[in-house]
Amino acid sequence: MAVFDTPREAFGALRPACVRLTQAQTAENVALLRARLAAVGAAALQELQEYVLYPLRLALASPGPRRERLAQSAARGLAAVLGATRLRGPELLRELLAELCACLGTPPAPGPAPGPGPASEELKLAVVEALHALIHSADGDVILSLYRPPALHLLGFAVSLLLGLAERERARQVKISALKCLQALVLRCECCQHRQLREDEEQQCGDSFASFLPGVALALSRVITADIKQGHATTVAALRVFYQVVGLVMADEQLARIPENKEKPSGEQSEVSKLVVHRGPDWSKNTAEKLSLLLHKIVERSSVHSHWKVRLELVELVHHLVRNCRQSLVDSFTHLLKAVVGLVNDENSEVQSRCNEVLQHIAEQQLVAHNRALADVLSENLHSLATALPRLMNSQDDTGKFATLSLLLGYLKLLGPKVNIVLNSASHLHRLSKALMQVLELDVTDVKIVEDRRWGSGSGYEGSLQHGVQKGGCQKKYFRFFAEEKVFQLLQQVCRVLGYYGNLYLLVDHFLGLYSESAVYRKQAAMVLNELIAGAAGVGVDVLQEREVPLDRDDIKGAITSVLDEYTDQANWYLVTSIDAEEASHELSVNHSGLAALPGAACGSVLPPPDPRVTTRTMNSNIWQICIQLEGVGCFATVLGKEFRLLLLSALYPVLEKAGDKTLLISETAMGTLVDICEACSYDSVQCLINENSDYLVNGISLNLRHVAHRPHASQVLDTMLRHSDASLLPLVEDVIQDVLSTLDQSYNHQASTFLGVLHSLMAALVKWFGPSRSEEPQRRQAAERQSGTLGQVQAAITGQEVEQFFLDYVRQKQVAEGNLSDSGDEEADEVPPVAKLEPSNSDTEGETPLPSHAQLAKDVMGRCIHLLSDRSLRVRLKVLDVLELCVTVLHPHRNHLLPMAHRVWPALVTRLISDDPLAVLRAFKVLCTLAQKCGDFLRQRFSKDVLPKLTSSLLSQAPASARAGPVYSHTLAFKLQLAVLQGLGSLCEKLDMGESDLNKVADACLIYLSAKQPMKLQEAAQSVFLHLMHVDPDSTWLLLNEVCCPQLYEPPHASLQPVKLRGMGRPRNEFTDNVLLLLEKLQQQESRVLQAGTQEASPA
Amino acid sequence: MAAPPPDPQFVLRGTSAAVHTLHFSCGGQEPDVPVLFSGSENGLIHVWNLKTHRVDKALDGHGRKSVCWVETMDGKDRLLSQGRDQKICLWDLAEGRASVTDSVFTENVGFCRCSLLKVAEGRWLMAMAAKALDEVQVLELPSKTSVCTLKPEAGAKLGMPMCLKLWQINCGSQPLLLAGYENGSVVLWNLSMGKVLSQLFCHQEPVMSLDFDSEKAKGISGSSERVLSIWSLNEQQNLQVHTTHRLVNSGISDITIRPDKKILATAGWDHRIRVFGWKKMKPLAVLDYHTATVHCVSFSDHKNPSERLLAAGSKDHRISIWSIYTQT
Repeated sequence: MAVFDTPREAFGALRPACVRLTQAQTAENVALLRARLAAVGAAALQELQEYVLYPLRLALASPGPRRERLAQSAARGLAAVLGATRLRGPELLRELLAELCACLGTPPAPGPAPGPGPASEELKLAVVEALHALIHSADGDVILSLYRPPALHLLGFAVSLLLGLAERERARQVKISALKCLQALVLRCECCQHRQLREDEEQQCGDSFASFLPGVALALSRVITADIKQGHATTVAALRVFYQVVGLVMADEQLARIPENKEKPSGEQSEVSKLVVHRGPDWSKNTAEKLSLLLHKIVERSSVHSHWKVRLELVELVHHLVRNCRQSLVDSFTHLLKAVVGLVNDENSEVQSRCNEVLQHIAEQQLVAHNRALADVLSENLHSLATALPRLMNSQDDTGKFATLSLLLGYLKLLGPKVNIVLNSASHLHRLSKALMQVLELDVTDVKIVEDRRWGSGSGYEGSLQHGVQKGGCQKKYFRFFAEEKVFQLLQQVCRVLGYYGNLYLLVDHFLGLYSESAVYRKQAAMVLNELIAGAAGVGVDVLQEREVPLDRDDIKGAITSVLDEYTDQANWYLVTSIDAEEASHELSVNHSGLAALPGAACGSVLPPPDPRVTTRTMNSNIWQICIQLEGVGCFATVLGKEFRLLLLSALYPVLEKAGDKTLLISETAMGTLVDICEACSYDSVQCLINENSDYLVNGISLNLRHVAHRPHASQVLDTMLRHSDASLLPLVEDVIQDVLSTLDQSYNHQASTFLGVLHSLMAALVKWFGPSRSEEPQRRQAAERQSGTLGQVQAAITGQEVEQFFLDYVRQKQVAEGNLSDSGDEEADEVPPVAKLEPSNSDTEGETPLPSHAQLAKDVMGRCIHLLSDRSLRVRLKVLDVLELCVTVLHPHRNHLLPMAHRVWPALVTRLISDDPLAVLRAFKVLCTLAQKCGDFLRQRFSKDVLPKLTSSLLSQAPASARAGPVYSHTLAFKLQLAVLQGLGSLCEKLDMGESDLNKVADACLIYLSAKQPMKLQEAAQSVFLHLMHVDPDSTWLLLNEVCCPQLYEPPHASLQPVKLRGMGRPRNEFTDNVLLLLEKLQQQESRVLQAGTQEASPA
Repeated sequence: MAAPPPDPQFVLRGTSAAVHTLHFSCGGQEPDVPVLFSGSENGLIHVWNLKTHRVDKALDGHGRKSVCWVETMDGKDRLLSQGRDQKICLWDLAEGRASVTDSVFTENVGFCRCSLLKVAEGRWLMAMAAKALDEVQVLELPSKTSVCTLKPEAGAKLGMPMCLKLWQINCGSQPLLLAGYENGSVVLWNLSMGKVLSQLFCHQEPVMSLDFDSEKAKGISGSSERVLSIWSLNEQQNLQVHTTHRLVNSGISDITIRPDKKILATAGWDHRIRVFGWKKMKPLAVLDYHTATVHCVSFSDHKNPSERLLAAGSKDHRISIWSIYTQT
């Protein structure tokens, strides 16, 4: 765009403008010149530099009343010329500098620092920019002349002028320009066109600025700490200039070269040289002290500055100073490191990453490792922070806590391997650990933790299995002093970093000491220990530098073993986590309250604590402690990996014990731990883990069973094993189940209830593993047979052929009976005996073959149940009945064993059915139904003799009561009993193939429940009884129902036959009518269905 | 409340047959894990790893006939086992091998366990019941050459040898043999002359087990009676009864004096292990765990006293491991 490239052309173009300006200094003329200047090439302008500058200078310094516009315009012109050219004369530089400065203020004079005159903002800006352009355009050697002692006063004037502008000026633009200009003046300009300064030149620059350091530093620090209204750019620029200046003057390199004593000023320069500061050790020490104060102030203000660029600049400041002034400013490092460490977790990611870089750099340079002083500074910081930590944690909000903890973490990270210096000092370690103990204090007021129970074994069965898949994460903890998860994560990191760098033995020892010192610290210490070990193994640690000595596996194994021993020590593992509801409610249910009839209330309600010393708070705390310890075990497993297998010998049993705990939180955590162990030791599943280590578990169980009174947990372990494994476990635990049974034999009185829990889960497991698939099949077959049986009957009754066949058979049978055998009959007779022979031999062999182990177990358990059926405690009796039912289910396929057992059980069961608590009767009736289903007609005789009369009479006697009762009745036990009996009776009759008189009894007893006055549910149940009766004996049922109510008239087909008279005929509509009609209709349907089926079947034949 | 009865430290299960003999081998250097050999009725010898408490190896070399004696020769790599199949096998177990390298056919049908004595480096003597019912044969190992056959005088009516103990007063001196016989007597044999030095009639029933402490020149024997007999050997090489100790229940199947000669343990038919002080036969403990006859007791030879153990094998298929060193 330059039009005039040669000096000649340029001269031609500029000359008129210059001449005019020289003659009349007006703003218009300056503007003209500036316009011309724009069209002149840089090379040409360089030639004409002085020529052009002259009129501009003239304009700038024009006498008379200040013409601001003129000066401003001239300054702009100067800036434009200087921007395009290089300044080659030191004299010119000085003159221009002086003239520009003079525009703004009075020339330098001894006395107080000159303030900028009352010039307008535009002028100031123009002048400052011109100054900037001036310094920029000066070549290296030229600019350096400024830093020689003779020019010191001029430099000082400029510096103070610029500082004044930066500090006092209102306009943001001016401030920033002034600061930029100042930065250029320190030769730290950001543009890269300057050549690299030589060392001695740097030194010279530093020397001269040393004189201004106090002023510069003070003024800048005022700017930095000024109101944030000045805008972040100003602060950023001021920060930058500050660290440039300080970094220049206090640079270690430069200070190292300063001779001990000030050299004698030579000759005529001595006057000025007095102004030059000698940067000797004393001076630097003094200055560092003062700077430390300023830095502290700056860091404090800027690290919380709302704009991230300021914080970023602060990080740069730290970086710059740490790099250049490591020795000279060591005292300030406390503040500097605090700043950068604190900003590691800044909300702005750029600040964060830069911070990390800087820290990384600091660590990489091993500044700390090789600088004892720095390590001391850090450890001192750490100490004071640890001291203040509990107070801060109490008073600060979560963000504040976060910042404080980030600081702690940062110190530790920076210290790196040197952290052992801190740890080796008892007081430091003490402070730090106490602080952690206090900060990590858990909130143990939540009652829910204690209340959440894993409900009885029956219902929890399926749930717990699904559960096993879920990964063992940490349980969410609630802390007293903070709520945010990220605060906890920081604390975790703190512990892990400690573990990573610190002496593991020392730390583990110390925290184990705290663990056993007081129950108050126990949970926290355990938490810290877990993290320490994770950290030591390098799990999830975020560090700046590698540790010096790689980890010794044996060390960590040793540490883990000792911690594990401590955790699973009886005193720390068996804590009171609940008031034993089982034992307590024991007494309650013996006293029998009607309320207990509600399902669920029977299985252990949480009662008010009988022992006031065990508060909810302690129990909560205990629960958490166990959980933390369990998490620890999981964490150790993760750390050790497959090597943990060796520790399973001691660790698996306790964990499984807790997996069977009644407290939900504990059992869940233990399950998580099991999953962790599985993964660490590379087992496929929890089941695998249990099966492959069943020998360890069995050993633990059998040894603990010996002291069942003191350690009732053995049964829980077995329970858990059964819950989480499959049939393949059975051979492994058979041995110990026998132990359980024999122990039970020795202590029926005291521990029956505990053992019943195990027996229940054992039987439930057996049912699950061996039960349904086998037991269902024969049942179905039976049903099919029965169905075909009735079909046959009906068919015989209907088709004439069948009738004929029947009579033929009958005649032949009769002949056979009388001894008249035909030939063909012979053959048939021959065929029969082998079948008859076969059958008993079959059953014989079945009796002799040893029972499969699960059935044998069921038999053994059933044997025990017989004894326990008459236990004094209702609770036990109920449980026994449950177990009994399961036993019957398991033993079902082995009829030859089931029947004798049923025989033995019978008397006790009858007692339960006839004269026991209604609750037990209910349960016993259920058992009876199951038993009947499995044993069939074996029980018929006994049932009709021992039980049926009682049942029918109770049904009859209760009927009036239920007929009268209101809606509340359906919540009573009596109602439930009636319902259960009515619901079960029908199928019982069918299964047991009851005789006619018994059926009549049943029908009579149930008939009154068909009354519309009875509760609906009872009516329905009674209907079901009749439906079953219809299957067994449709005819008599029909008759009975018709006796009550007969909707139809039956006309005899022939007059010679007597008319059919049924008692129910012609009766008025009554309470039974509806139900009876319904039943009759169903009967009709059933019969016609059978009829259809029969004809269909018969037709193809 | 009284302290609960002591528990075994661990119970080894899985032999699936009655355990008849046990032998520790814990003398190895660090990377070596201490092991326990057990011989059971089903003819298997199990090598138990005492770190993991699991079977490392199961050796099958006696044709499913009961194994009644196992002993190592210098470390756990060479193992001698005696079975009811009338064979004594020498196993090579080094570097994971498990093969029978040599065997001796005893032709004896009795229950008598052998006895092994190291007389010099690489030279052992082994006493075993011989083919003739009342004879004892002593072999030199590993050459298997017969050293002598000890045959009681005609008319002595000792019956079968029931238990043997080879010993020597100190290294290099003349090895002697103590043998318990069916008629209840304990006999001291001189091996070189093949002559009875002394005979002591100390039990009414066959001697089931004996052990001898050569330092105190005192031995102990048990039979199916309710009595433990302690006898001593005087300078004239004469055995004389020192004391007897009455037991509550009859039947002792094994007696072992701990290598440090401070205590001894007996395996009882009453399912119990009894521990006595050796000096005065002071009863120290009754270890009650098993649910059937205890067949054998054995003390470990671990270098570190705190890791030494007592093991007992029983008819109930279990081996109980007790830590009784630390507690005493």
